[in-house]
Amino acid sequence: MNVSYEHRTLFRYEGPLDMQLLPQIVKSVEQLLIGEKVRTPLRRKIISALIELAQNIIHYSIPRHPHSNPSISLVREGDNIVLSASNPIHSSQELFLRTYIENLLSMNKEDLSALYQNVLTKSDYTDTGGAGLGILQVLAKADGFSYTIEALGDDHANFTVRASFVTLANA
Amino acid sequence: MESTLYIEPSLTTPEIRFQLENCHFSIKGSSYPENSLKFYQPVVQYLSELVQNYPVDPSKTFILDVELQYFNTSTAKVLLDIFRYFEQLHEKGQPVKVRWLYLEDDTEMEDAGLDYQAAVKLPFELVALHEEA
Repeated sequence: MNVSYEHRTLFRYEGPLDMQLLPQIVKSVEQLLIGEKVRTPLRRKIISALIELAQNIIHYSIPRHPHSNPSISLVREGDNIVLSASNPIHSSQELFLRTYIENLLSMNKEDLSALYQNVLTKSDYTDTGGAGLGILQVLAKADGFSYTIEALGDDHANFTVRASFVTLANA
Repeated sequence: MESTLYIEPSLTTPEIRFQLENCHFSIKGSSYPENSLKFYQPVVQYLSELVQNYPVDPSKTFILDVELQYFNTSTAKVLLDIFRYFEQLHEKGQPVKVRWLYLEDDTEMEDAGLDYQAAVKLPFELVALHEEA
């Protein structure tokens, strides 16, 4: 039996990321998704997730690492579009990230939505003027979510988030 | 206080056009600035002064139009703060209305509007637009 499985990179960026570059990435990805015939609601979902993950990189990534650069990619995998964002972090951030994300992963969509509303309406802003809702929002909106934290061997680690979005009913 | 507040749009920030003389306030474009709190500070300042100083005039209705393509979660939080100021005006007796404008097939933006509609206590209308401007 032959199984055909499409795996096609739609977009990939690797290197320093800042607020001058982000709107260009957003515009490029939007055009690519229109070209992929991804309808407006799903397109909005994917690009909103991209913005959150990219701004997390801009705010929280360590500035430079010899073996790891920030990266963002968008891959079509069969009926899914998979958004990945990766960046080097200090190893000291690992425990917080694991605890925070594992807690979110233990919740269902309704709990995530309730938590989002609760943080939105009752919590203060972060030191960077953020809402502290980026990963929660991505996890709540994506059809699939996973993450890895891989040690880089020098008190640093590579943090990668993968959010997948089903296009079947939307393409 | 200044009767008009205007901030030009950029690739990551919306056009802000607040015009007290015709009771029309609008936020239009994309909103994902690096620091939303900082970007919206003049808006918050304007509304804070409006709530404190504007003598209620029941013959006028303040309209706030919000039409966004993309907004990040920190903007989501600031928007709620902005709606709270209009809520205060409403509580003081000033007629106000928020119009949340979205493309008719954009269920994501519609859902966001519905969430705000549920979170605030003021007239909040969702308006579906038929085509992208």
